[in-house]
Formats: sequence, structure tokens, C-alpha cells
Amino acid sequence: MTAFCKKSVFIIICALLFGCKPNVKVDKISADIFFREAEKSAFKISPDGKYLSYLKPYKGKLNIFVEDIERKKNIQVTICESSGVKYYLWAGNEELFYVQDKGNDGNYQAFTVSKDGKVTHQIKTSPKTKIEIIDGIRNDNRYLLIALNEQNPEFFDVYKLDIKTGQKTLEIKNPGNIVEWISDNNGSVRLAIGSDGVNETLYFRASEKDAFKPVISNNFKNMLQPLCFTGVGNHIYALSNLNRDKLALVDFDCETGKEAKVIYENPEADVLDVVCSKAKKKLVYLTYEVSKRELYFFDDKAKEMYAQIKSKLPQQEVKIIDKNQKEDIFLLRTFTDRDPGAYYLYHAKDKQFTKLSEINPGINPTEMCQMQAISYKSRDGLTIHGYLTLPLNQANKNLPCVILPHSGSSNRNVWGYNAEVQFLANQGYAVFQMNFRGSSGYGKAFQTAGYKQWGTKVQDDITDGVEWLIKEKIADPKRIGIYGFSFGGYSALNQIIYHPNLYQCAASYSGFINLFTYLKGFPAYYKPYQQMLNEIVGNPESDVEELKYASPIFQIDKIKMPTLIAQGAKDPRVNVNETNQFVKELRKHNQNVNYLLKEDEGHYFNDPKNRLEFYQKLEIFLNKYLHPER
Amino acid sequence: MAKAKKISYRKNFVLIMSFMGLITISLIIALYVGYSLTKKFIENEFSSLKIDVLDQTIEPYNTLFQNKIPELSFYQGFLDSLSASKYSDTVFKKYPFVSHILFYDSDVSNHPIRDGLKVNRFSIGLKTLYRFGRNTPADSIVLFRETDPQLLSLSLSDEFNKIGLKFASFLESADTTKALTSDQIFKIFFSIVPGKISYMNIPRREDIKIYQDLMFKNQPPSPLYDLDIFSFELNPYKLSLKNTHPELYQNVSVKPLSYDPILENQNLISTEITLPGAFSDYKLYLSSDKEFLYHEVNLRFLPIALAIFAIYLILAFITFLIYRNLSINKKLFSLQYDFINNFTHEFKTPVSVIKVAGSNILNSKNLTERELTHYGKILDEEADKLNDLMNKLLSFTQIENKAISVKSKEVNLEVFAHNMIDAFQLKYPDYEIELDLINVEFFHTDPTLLSSIFHNLMENAYKYAQQGSKNLKITVYTLKNKIIFSFKDTGIGIEASELKHIFKKFYRIQNRYNQQGSVGLGLAFCKELAIFMDGDITVKSKPGVGSEFDVILPYDN
Repeated sequence: MTAFCKKSVFIIICALLFGCKPNVKVDKISADIFFREAEKSAFKISPDGKYLSYLKPYKGKLNIFVEDIERKKNIQVTICESSGVKYYLWAGNEELFYVQDKGNDGNYQAFTVSKDGKVTHQIKTSPKTKIEIIDGIRNDNRYLLIALNEQNPEFFDVYKLDIKTGQKTLEIKNPGNIVEWISDNNGSVRLAIGSDGVNETLYFRASEKDAFKPVISNNFKNMLQPLCFTGVGNHIYALSNLNRDKLALVDFDCETGKEAKVIYENPEADVLDVVCSKAKKKLVYLTYEVSKRELYFFDDKAKEMYAQIKSKLPQQEVKIIDKNQKEDIFLLRTFTDRDPGAYYLYHAKDKQFTKLSEINPGINPTEMCQMQAISYKSRDGLTIHGYLTLPLNQANKNLPCVILPHSGSSNRNVWGYNAEVQFLANQGYAVFQMNFRGSSGYGKAFQTAGYKQWGTKVQDDITDGVEWLIKEKIADPKRIGIYGFSFGGYSALNQIIYHPNLYQCAASYSGFINLFTYLKGFPAYYKPYQQMLNEIVGNPESDVEELKYASPIFQIDKIKMPTLIAQGAKDPRVNVNETNQFVKELRKHNQNVNYLLKEDEGHYFNDPKNRLEFYQKLEIFLNKYLHPER
Repeated sequence: MAKAKKISYRKNFVLIMSFMGLITISLIIALYVGYSLTKKFIENEFSSLKIDVLDQTIEPYNTLFQNKIPELSFYQGFLDSLSASKYSDTVFKKYPFVSHILFYDSDVSNHPIRDGLKVNRFSIGLKTLYRFGRNTPADSIVLFRETDPQLLSLSLSDEFNKIGLKFASFLESADTTKALTSDQIFKIFFSIVPGKISYMNIPRREDIKIYQDLMFKNQPPSPLYDLDIFSFELNPYKLSLKNTHPELYQNVSVKPLSYDPILENQNLISTEITLPGAFSDYKLYLSSDKEFLYHEVNLRFLPIALAIFAIYLILAFITFLIYRNLSINKKLFSLQYDFINNFTHEFKTPVSVIKVAGSNILNSKNLTERELTHYGKILDEEADKLNDLMNKLLSFTQIENKAISVKSKEVNLEVFAHNMIDAFQLKYPDYEIELDLINVEFFHTDPTLLSSIFHNLMENAYKYAQQGSKNLKITVYTLKNKIIFSFKDTGIGIEASELKHIFKKFYRIQNRYNQQGSVGLGLAFCKELAIFMDGDITVKSKPGVGSEFDVILPYDN
């Protein structure tokens, strides 16, 4: 019903906008407008609610800026010139903790800095160690709990970090199997997740003095993700799909290792986010997404406030991204499928809004295209959910089409503004995304159905989607191209290897071309996951034939159409020597290959110039073979 | 004039003869040069096309080297005995010259090792050594296991050590900020010695960094990183030789580099080329019998010789045609010369008669009435004769040049023929002419042309008959869409040998009947006329019996 209302509103807006000329051709918007970096990003609010912080480029690198909300005074806190700030957080009201990414090879360096930028402490760690934050700030306003893999690259130990001095002290040594540490509301680590590669074990201790003891073990296909302590006994809130298919919010008793009760379960989708209120010590709301993000509230006051916000920001999806400790000042982020959105500061007391920054002011939402949720049946009867974005002001039939499989075999597409999708739709293509099996959010069975099926059933789901699109007469069967990033690029290559008649061309941006290399690409600290990867992707020693079938580099002779291949020379997942060999072989077979090789890039192109160059190449490439103007 | 003519004909003949001589000499030179060039060409090909044979023969080696061996890197060191054996089988199937494949299944670590290679803390430990081959029994594949260290011989570990050392020295100074160049890959990860190619799977840049740390840093015991080293044993004699030029090379074979062909058959021409890469101890030896090559030279020269001959023959034929035309022209020239002589003679008689009559009239003072009439008659007759001659000549020229036009009209044949007969009988009272018209009355034609034909044939029939047998029978009849005028006389007839000439211009049968007043144009004129009117004239004759001339003309009624 709501969807119908929105549709009719959309039609009315369209009618008003275009008046008597409903079929006006949309102007092409250049790629640099779509892929322009947001000027300010990663907004955060200080715990006392008096300061706002954000990342903004300085000499081309992201740096932290702090704004005094009352006085509207902005200060640059960090001066990072060689490489930008990777992530940061408020450590108390006076200090910020941040991590700088030194180059592309996983070299990180952590610092603390005072909010005026005057005092900076480097946190001394040996090179190539990775820091993970366990608990933002403890009540003492002085210590952070961090996990560090300094002593052994495969295991993270718990340290207490003094933010005033940058000194760290070892709290808990990893016995050798712990992959995640979780702290309670008082900032003491009382939960830990151990893994032997295939099975996960939850460990619990009643207090810091006690020893950790195992609570429950389960296979990695199942999930029991602790969220926070309920405050009642040794109970925790957790997301669990133990003994059920969809991830549900449960109350879990760490003492007995049993589920006390199910708090919320959705029959169609996994629970995605759960927001707890530390101040009120209770659950606020959770989200799930079948075709569009939906909210479920536990707290009536929060529901009321959310409704009030929505009434002020009509037609917009609203996410609460940060709040102060008292929980009366909120940072909001809005978006729709056609609008990249903006950041707002909201004062709950006087219901006052302040617009902070637009994500991409160059985008006019009325020129963007609507994203509609669709679903189809796979050949073996699974329901596959997807999104279809049709170009504006065009007949919805016989369109040139770009198939856009998502990156990451277990990621998923979501409803919302997507620059790539809008860029392609603006060019005149129908853009088709699907959550093939293996994608998350639709339950355990659906996700595990994609295991060891990267080159087979996962690909069949994509093929079935394309055939559905042709059957619905939306796509012109002679003008279909496929493009994707990472796993999406891998899928694109796989599609044209095994279904050459469906497509005219394929573009792969850092697509995997060799699953052996992909498996080898996991750094040593992922070693516990090696066995799991063997189950998800395939065992490189015993499943050689299957992996060869699924790896494009072993199937070069089957590629018979033009391709665009983008590769970063420092990509650990896709070996540049192999891609060079791949391109050479394709050219030897007289196939047209557009090869974009960037010496200083990794898996994802960090330099906006390189990214832009790729999208411009992609535009020309697709235009050449799919003729959207015809 | 006669002098000039004679000189010019002799000159032509000499010219033609010298021309023929010249082209014959050219022919001989062309054949000789052609043959020696072909021979030279074959000799050049013999020594240069071996590259072609080499390229074709070595092609599978190149694909093995450039594609199949680097494919090992794609497995990222994950190969174990089963998958390596599968890989080996595909190699053995496609590349018959690979005799064995050694697979050194190894681990990189910083652990102490018993067998393998250790540089600083970096070690490559040999776990297992497999030797795959064609039809190798399963129990003899494993040559070494780390659990049984005595088994490893120095010769077996030779390739492992060589490539391991190369890799270790590369690690010492490797720049991991840059991707490996293809030159580096070739130098470090391949080891090529005669008879063997060894290859190590190329680690990713991240692995190289880890290995460097293992080498230089004091670290806790590291995990084990898989590393695969392969050594391919090659047998050059199993290369499938592809003789792409069987017409040049009788025998192609692989011989050791030291092989010396001098002890072979003396009649053998040979060439050789060293094999590349791992086969560099061997060469491709190509040879052929001299006879075989000469045969090839002849084979190649044959079409060239034929072409030269064809050109020679064409030139000779053209020369012959020129010679023939020249001699025909010469004959025609003499005919026309005779014609002028005849004509002069023809004109001379009436002109001298007129001259005599004229001078008689001039010299006698008084002529009698009778004498006057006599001279007048003579003058008149001779002037008529002259006129007739002129007309004949004129109309003949006209008809030859197609300058007259046909003026057709309806002719009553009976009236037309009787007029002609009456005219002749008036002239020659002893001329017996009979007319027979069968089923024809009218004919659409030009009466002037028709009367010319009638006149000539009737005149001839009278002229070539003995006194007392001057008879002519004219029959007119139709046959299909033709009308035929048949003139049958009882004259002297024509010899069979003369028959084919009588229609030629200026041809006269030499006999007493045409002593005077014949120029040899009459029948030729008739024939020309008949052809001009889309018809023809045929003749049948028997000497002493008579002749029959049939004029056949188209009859469209």
C-alpha cells in the first residue's frame, strides 16, 4: 500500500515537473558528477554532544575536522599528507582515536589526538599489525580497549590503551583460538568468540577475575552474534539462527547456554541492525530488508520521535548514525533511491533540524531513476530478489540492459541511492541487480546454498535473472552487457564463458580470475578461516577440477566477445601477473580487450582520478557494444 | 617502278628472316637464364626455409614453455600428488617430447628442516618428490619423502637446489613495491638447462614480502607456505618433426650438435639449424639427394620453359601472318598491274580504230556517201565499246565500295527476259535462246542490277561457244524462299581446275575465245552483284558439253 502511494506521488511529481512534455530526453550527466567524493563524510558527535567531527580532504587526503556546534567554529585536528585517515572515533570528550592507512599493503598506524589537534600520540605497534576497537570508551574517560595482532599475526590480544599517553598494556592474551572479543556495558571483556576454522565457540566469564569458559559451540554456517548485555543476570541480546533459518533477535543466557526467548523474528528476512540504548539500557529498534529497509520499534518514544523526524523529511529514508551520551542529540543521514541524501543534526528537545552537508550536491533527484524491487524464480525453485532501475522517460520495453552482479559472494544489494546504478541508468540502460544465492539477509539456507557454487548455481541464478528479464520483454536480447566489481566482475567473466549467447560484452573491475589466487590472498591472520573458505569457495587441494572450472583464467579459450578489464597492480586478491597473462592470451585469441592497469591501486581504486577514468572507459565501452541511443 | 618493287620485296624477306633468327637466339638465352635462376632459387630456398621447418617443429615446445608451464602458477602452490598427476597427464598427452615430470612438493617456512634449502632463517623444505612419466607404475612415482631422508640423491635434487637458490637470492634484494616484470619471471622462476626446464610457481607479491621477513627477521615459527617446483625432462627425439617443405627436404631429423654429415653419402646436400632453449644440445638436420633437388629444379623450370616457348610461338605465328599478308599483297599488286595492262590494251583497239577512221576522214578530199556512213558507223561502234568498258569499270568500283543503292520495284519476269533476249538476238542473229518460266511471274528487285547479271551471263554463253552451237536455255523457278535463274549453254565448258578461279577479278581463261575484248571482270562482277543482293552464283560445267550458271536470289513472296 505504501509502495503504491509513493508510486502515485512519484507520477504526480513527474507530471508536474515535465508538464506537457512527458517524453523529454534526459540530459546525460558526466561521470565525474556521479562519482564525486563527498566533501564531508564520517560525521560523529562527541559524547557530551558539544562537538561534531567529520572527515574532509586536505591536500587530497582525508583529515579529521572538529566543529564546535554552538560557536560554529571548525578546526582541522590532523595533518595527514602522505595518506588519509582510515577511521576514527571519539575517545571521551577530549580525545579522538584514529587509524592511518600507510599504503595499500595492510600497514596501519594508530594515533590519539586532542580535539584541538595540539597533542598527538602515536600508538607504538610493530609494522603490519592491525588494530581493532573492542570498546569505544570506558567510564573512566581514559582507556580504550583494543585488540592487536602484534605478537602473532594470526591472533589478536586485548590491550588497554591510555589515550592521554598512547601507552598500551596487555590485558588478556589470546590462548590461540579467539577471533573476537566483546566487552560488557562497563567496558570489561566478558565474552569471546573462539574458532577452530569451522566451529565457533562462545566463551563467557562472570567477572574479570573468573576464567573464560565455553558456553556453546556451533558450526560457522550457524550464527550466534552477541550484541550487548541485557543487564539482567548473565543474559545477552544476540542475533541467532541456531535451530532456525532466519537470523532473529534473541535473549540468550550465557550461564546455561540456552536461548531464554525470541524477541523478534521475521519470516522472510534476517534481522540486520539492532540499536540498543546504552543510556536507557534497552532495545530501541531493529531493521530488516526483504526488498526495502523496514524498521521495527521496541520503544514507543523512539517510534514517536522517528515519526516526527519522518514528517519533517517527507519521502526520505532516515538512518540514525550517531548520538550523544545523553541521547538527545542525533546525527541523521537521509537517502532515497533517487537522492544520495544529506546529513542532519537533530535536537530531540526542541525538535530542531540543522542540515550539515549534502552527500553529492551535483545530483538532482528528479533526474535520477526509480529503483524497483522485483523477484523471480530460479531454475530449482528458489525465489531470487533483485532490483531493476529503468532509464527515465523511456518506454519500458526492449531496453539495452546492464546486468550488475554485486561484489562479495555473501554481500547483497539494497534499495537506495547507488551512484553506479544511477550512472548507468542515466546512460539509457536498464540496470538489473539480483541477490543470487549465497547473498546474506535471506536466511541461513539461502546463504549456504551458494557455498562451493561460485561457478555453478550462483551463476545459474544470474542467468535465470537475465532470461527472466528477456521473457518480461524489458531487455532487448541483442543488447545485454554485464559488469561488476570484484565478485561481480568474476561473475561477469563467468557468465560470458558459459553463456556467450546471452551477452554482447562484459566489463570486470578487479574481478577474480583465479580462485586459487583468491584463496591464497587471505592474509595470515585469517588463517582460522582457511578451512571455512575451503567450504565456502572450495578446497584448493582436493577440489582442483571444480576450482579450475570456476576460474576464468583456465577457461580463456571460451571467451568470444569484447571485454573491459580493470586491474590494480597491488591487488592481493587478483594477481597482476595473472591478469596480464589473461589479457595476453585473450588478445592472442583475437578477442578485443580494453585493459586498464593502474600501478598504484589495490583491489578497489583509491584514487578518485583512476576511478573516474575507469567509469569513463566503461561508458565508452558499453556505448560501443550496447548502443543505448538507438 | 619494277626495280623498286623487287628491292622492297627482298628487303621484307630478309627482315623477317633476321627477326626470326633474333627471337630464336632470345629463346635460347631465356631458357638458359631461366634454368640457372631457378636452380639458384631452389638452392636459396633449401638453406633458408629450414627456419620454417624449425618454427613448425618447435611450436608445441613454445606453447609448453609460454602457456602450459606458467599455468602452474595459477594453482598458487596448492598442487598435491593427485592434482599434479592430473596436470602431468594433460602435458604427456599433448607434448610427446616431455618424458618425465619431477614434482618437488615443498614448503616455505622459517623452521629447521632436514632436506631442502636454507638461507638465513628462510627455508624451502622438500616434502615429497614425485616423478611422473608415461606408464609409470604407481609405486615408483614417489622418489622421496621427508620421513625417509636417505633417499634423496644429489642428481635428483639438482634442479630443486638451482631454482631454490635463484629464488633465495632474488628474495634478498626483491623490491616488493613493484610488480614482477616478465624478464624477472623468466630469469628467476625458470631454469633451463639442456634437456630440462624447471619452474617454480610464482608467489604473489604479498608472499614475497612474507618470505623476506622470514629470511631477515627473527620471528616465531611461521606457518608453512606451499611452494611447487616442477622439472620437465625433455626428449628431443620425440619432437614431432613437421616437414613443411617436402619438395625441398627429403630427410628431416634431430641430431646431436656434434653430428658431422661429412661421412654421409657424398651425393647429399644438407643444411642444419640449432634447436632453441632446452634442446640447444641438438640440431635439426635436413638433407636431400642432388638428384632429388635437380628433379625439383626441373619441375619448377617446366612452366617457365613452357611460357617462354609459348611467347616464342606467338611471335613466330605473328611473323608468319605478316609474311603471308605481304605475299598476298604482292599477288594483288601483280593482278592489278596485269589489269592495267589488259585495260590499256582494251582501250588501245577502239582508240586506234577511231584514230584510223579519223585520219582517213581527215586525209581524203571527198568521201562518198557510202564511205561516210561506213566511217560514221565505225566511230559510233567503237565509241560505244569504249563507253561500255568505262561503265563496266565504274560500276564494278562502285559495287566494290558499296556505293550504289538498290532501287527495287516489281518486275514482270517474262517481259524483262524477252526484252533481254530480243536485244541479244538483234545483236547476234545466230544466238538461239530459249526461256522457261516455271510458276513465277513477278519478282521484286532492282531491274538494272538484274539486267547486268543477265547481260554478262548471256554474253559469256554466246562468246564461249563454237559457231553453230551458240544455244542458251534460261530457266526461272522458285525453291523454298529462293528464286533461281538458271543459264544453261552448250558451249565449250570450263576445266574443273579453272572452276574455282572464274569468279576472281581479272581472271581470264587463256583460250582462243577471249582473244579480244575480255578483261576478266564479267563473272567477278556478277558474283559481286549477286552477293550485294543477298544471293549467290554457282556453276556446274563439263568441258566440251557446256556450262550451267545458277543465280540464286532471295524470294520473299
